[in-house]
Amino acid sequence: MTDGKLITGAELAASGSWHGSPQTQRRLRKRQAAEKRFRAYGLVAILMGVSFVALLFFDIVAKGWTAFMQTHIQLEVTYDPEVLGIADSGDTQALSRANYTGMVKAAMRKTFPNVSGRRAKRALYGTVSSGAGFVLRERMMANPDLLGSTEKLWLPADDDIDMLLKGHIRRDAPESDRRVSDQQIAWVEQLEQSGQIRKQFNTTFFTAGDSREPELAGIRGATTGSFYTLLVTLILSFPLAVAAAIYLEEFAPKNRWTDIIEVNINNLAAVPSIVFGLLGLAVFINFFGLPRSAPLVGGLVLTLMTLPTIIIASRAALKSVPPSIREAALGMGASKTQMITHHVLPLAMPGMLTGTIIGMAQALGETAPLLMIGMVAFIVDVPGGPLEPATVLPVQIFLWADSPERAFVERTSAAIMVLLGFLILMNALAVVLRRRFERRW
Amino acid sequence: MITQASPQTEESMDTGKPAPSRTASIGTRSRVSNKALDDRGFSETVGDITVDQPRMQTRDVNVYYGDKQAIKDVSLDIGRNEVVAMIGPSGCGKSTFIRCLNRMNDTIEGCRVTGTITLDKQDIYDPTLDVVQLRARVGMVFQKPNPFPKSIYDNVAYGPRIHGLVSSRMETDEIVQRSLERAGLWSEVKDRLTSSGTGLSGGQQQRLCIARAIAVSPDVILMDEPCSALDPIATARIEELIDELRENYTIAIVTHSMQQAARVSQRTAYFHLGDLVEVGETNQIFTNPRHRLTEDYITGRFG
Amino acid sequence: MTPKSTQNPQQIEEHTVKRFDQELDELNSLVLRMGGLVQDQITRAMDALREEDPEAARQVIARDHVVNFMDVEANERAVNLLALRQPMGRDLRMIMSLGKAVTDLERIGDEAERIARMTIHIYEAAGSQPSHKLLRDTHSMSSLAKKMLRDALDCLARLDVELALEVAKGDAELDSEFQSALRRLATYIMEDSRNVGHAIDVTFIVRSLERIGDHAKNISEYVIFLVKGKDVRHVSPESLDQDFLEQA
Repeated sequence: MTDGKLITGAELAASGSWHGSPQTQRRLRKRQAAEKRFRAYGLVAILMGVSFVALLFFDIVAKGWTAFMQTHIQLEVTYDPEVLGIADSGDTQALSRANYTGMVKAAMRKTFPNVSGRRAKRALYGTVSSGAGFVLRERMMANPDLLGSTEKLWLPADDDIDMLLKGHIRRDAPESDRRVSDQQIAWVEQLEQSGQIRKQFNTTFFTAGDSREPELAGIRGATTGSFYTLLVTLILSFPLAVAAAIYLEEFAPKNRWTDIIEVNINNLAAVPSIVFGLLGLAVFINFFGLPRSAPLVGGLVLTLMTLPTIIIASRAALKSVPPSIREAALGMGASKTQMITHHVLPLAMPGMLTGTIIGMAQALGETAPLLMIGMVAFIVDVPGGPLEPATVLPVQIFLWADSPERAFVERTSAAIMVLLGFLILMNALAVVLRRRFERRW
Repeated sequence: MITQASPQTEESMDTGKPAPSRTASIGTRSRVSNKALDDRGFSETVGDITVDQPRMQTRDVNVYYGDKQAIKDVSLDIGRNEVVAMIGPSGCGKSTFIRCLNRMNDTIEGCRVTGTITLDKQDIYDPTLDVVQLRARVGMVFQKPNPFPKSIYDNVAYGPRIHGLVSSRMETDEIVQRSLERAGLWSEVKDRLTSSGTGLSGGQQQRLCIARAIAVSPDVILMDEPCSALDPIATARIEELIDELRENYTIAIVTHSMQQAARVSQRTAYFHLGDLVEVGETNQIFTNPRHRLTEDYITGRFG
Repeated sequence: MTPKSTQNPQQIEEHTVKRFDQELDELNSLVLRMGGLVQDQITRAMDALREEDPEAARQVIARDHVVNFMDVEANERAVNLLALRQPMGRDLRMIMSLGKAVTDLERIGDEAERIARMTIHIYEAAGSQPSHKLLRDTHSMSSLAKKMLRDALDCLARLDVELALEVAKGDAELDSEFQSALRRLATYIMEDSRNVGHAIDVTFIVRSLERIGDHAKNISEYVIFLVKGKDVRHVSPESLDQDFLEQA
């Protein structure tokens, strides 16, 4: 190959003598290096993605896990009819209206007898949650015979005390920089010494509705609202989407109209979700007069939003059923309906369900359209049905994230953890369904 | 479509007049053209398209896919208890033709069929005729073995069930067993009827498909390259099966393998670019074809 | 797809598999070479008879094994082609025809050998030499038989149906020559009983020549089968013509 210049590449190729030549070796090394680089780019991208996700999870868990614990203070409470202002334990009205807060205050005074002065007393009362009275009322309502008796009870501490115990408020900071006074810290330390203050599992977080007080706020209302909303969405969107997909895939003639419909469905999936919210506000609430903030309306709006997703997924599932199965069914003399119901649908169902679950997960995490239809309202009660005002988990997170109290920060993260938990659960369900029922042919 | 033609063919195409034999109605015999012997171009079908005891008859069948004409003026009889093989190069319209015979072409968008096709003298494209009934009488076996992803039992029982042929589990058992026996599969699968049909080997799957087709006792079985995905042993078993089935059924088979056509069929039809070029006894077609196109194809000179 | 062969029906397109064409050609040329050899054998045998040369006749006999060898070779090739190429239609007929023609050629070779043996027998036996009158018929018959064989090989080489028909019909002429030769030989025997020995030898020779004609006719019939796909072996010569062949 000394006079390589005189030989053209084509001649070289034709002669076959280029195999193993130095040029070839060089080119080979270059190509292998390029190959390695190409793989490295992909690996770097994956690593970055994974680290972002890990960071996000770490941040949320680190901030939120403490919210599952709540500081409680043990008090000796006396169901004193005088303090409560109840004469007859059989009078339910009186029971519910009674002055339980006074009872808590009395118990506090009993624990710290040497506190005097209005200001000091108010600070003392402030160490116990303002919701402690509700705990007592519930106990009393459940068992009116308690009237006149005395018992030791663990009552939730105020959120600031909670923060103090969890270390979010530093004791060595200057008094003016923290929300807990030196006096309060002294009481807490006294309680700590007598073992009358402790952190226990925060059941309130899962059983209560929203509240202005962080220690009383829970996600029960939001999850129930989410449940009703998703239920409405599922009931409406799944049959509609499957029917639409079957029609488009199996029956619709291929002409300009179906093309337009197809393009629009695909575009609809890309429409910003807030637009659906505006639509829901205009149509369902203003035109049809459905109740504001109701899961029904939320479900309707989310149905509009998820329909295209599920239709597209269902069509893909239908399309993936091999034509040979259809031919086999038709060739056996099955009618088109029989072909679809006996063979195509069972084979496409795992794909459709997967698409539906993904759509539902998307709906579960949706916030913007629900803001438009009033599901952002502050609702304390757990909704009892799809027509009652409610909020949903992501909106709850949004609301809490806006609250100034330090204790809401950890509750926001905890709620995010719950939401993520549901999402992971739903996606896992989709994967399991697909694995379990997917058939090979 | 047609790149060459004899002068007289061009003329008949230009004027749009059909060649004389195209007007042949059912019952008359087409005559052999001497001109066709010396001509590479197609002018009219060579050979006798009729049989004494026709089960299916097609006359002047044209099939269009949109603007494209897939088969042109095909007239052919399929006799009782005979195996008719359709051969020809790819895209010659042979598959299209047999798919007309049970109206499987209906399922293809933009497909149009003209001409008459009869099954026992009854027009199968009659709008009053239910295509479901037709397909129960004219069964089909496809190129790729396509058992339903269900159990072997359910695969065979499917046809009888949807056509209401069975009312009890016992009747179904009987039909399933008989069909599998006829398809020569019973001894191999009788212990695992509940396992999936897709778990069988390729040849077994295809025999399962045949069992499924004969479970509804059709008059005619159409086979579209039934062995093209099978190994030689499985192919031989299917061929043996076809020969056995001939006693009770009329079979039309499309095949790419000329040897297979020669082995299994009594009559052979050669298609070329949508024309039915030649029909005849299989012996004659493979030893002494009359048309140059047939000759060139079967001797491996093109196609 | 525009075939240039439309004008000439005899011109066959090549196979997609070129090797197949090559193998067919090889078989064809082997058969034709064998034909040439056999022709030569007859010519030499008849020359030996005419020249009264037993030595030349011995050479003819010695060469027969070459013919036999070619027969075996051609058979093997034909079987291989059938097994490996699965010929159809024209190719199948071609191989079958060539295979059969080979058998006929081998028989013709045997007849040439027989003539050579007779020649040796006639000229080396003790006793008188046969009269030339006795041998006259062999000469006329041999030229007729040789022409038939030449024509048969010609039409095999060119796949000429017209010529093949002629050969098939020409056999009748040779048959009548044979009949008259037999009658003449009978009269010689009656004339002089000393002629009996030679007359029997000559009878064998004319019988061989007649057989050669039959084999040539067979070959020409194979050509007709090859080209037209019609078996004309048992068709009466009167009805055998172009029109008959064109009938369906």
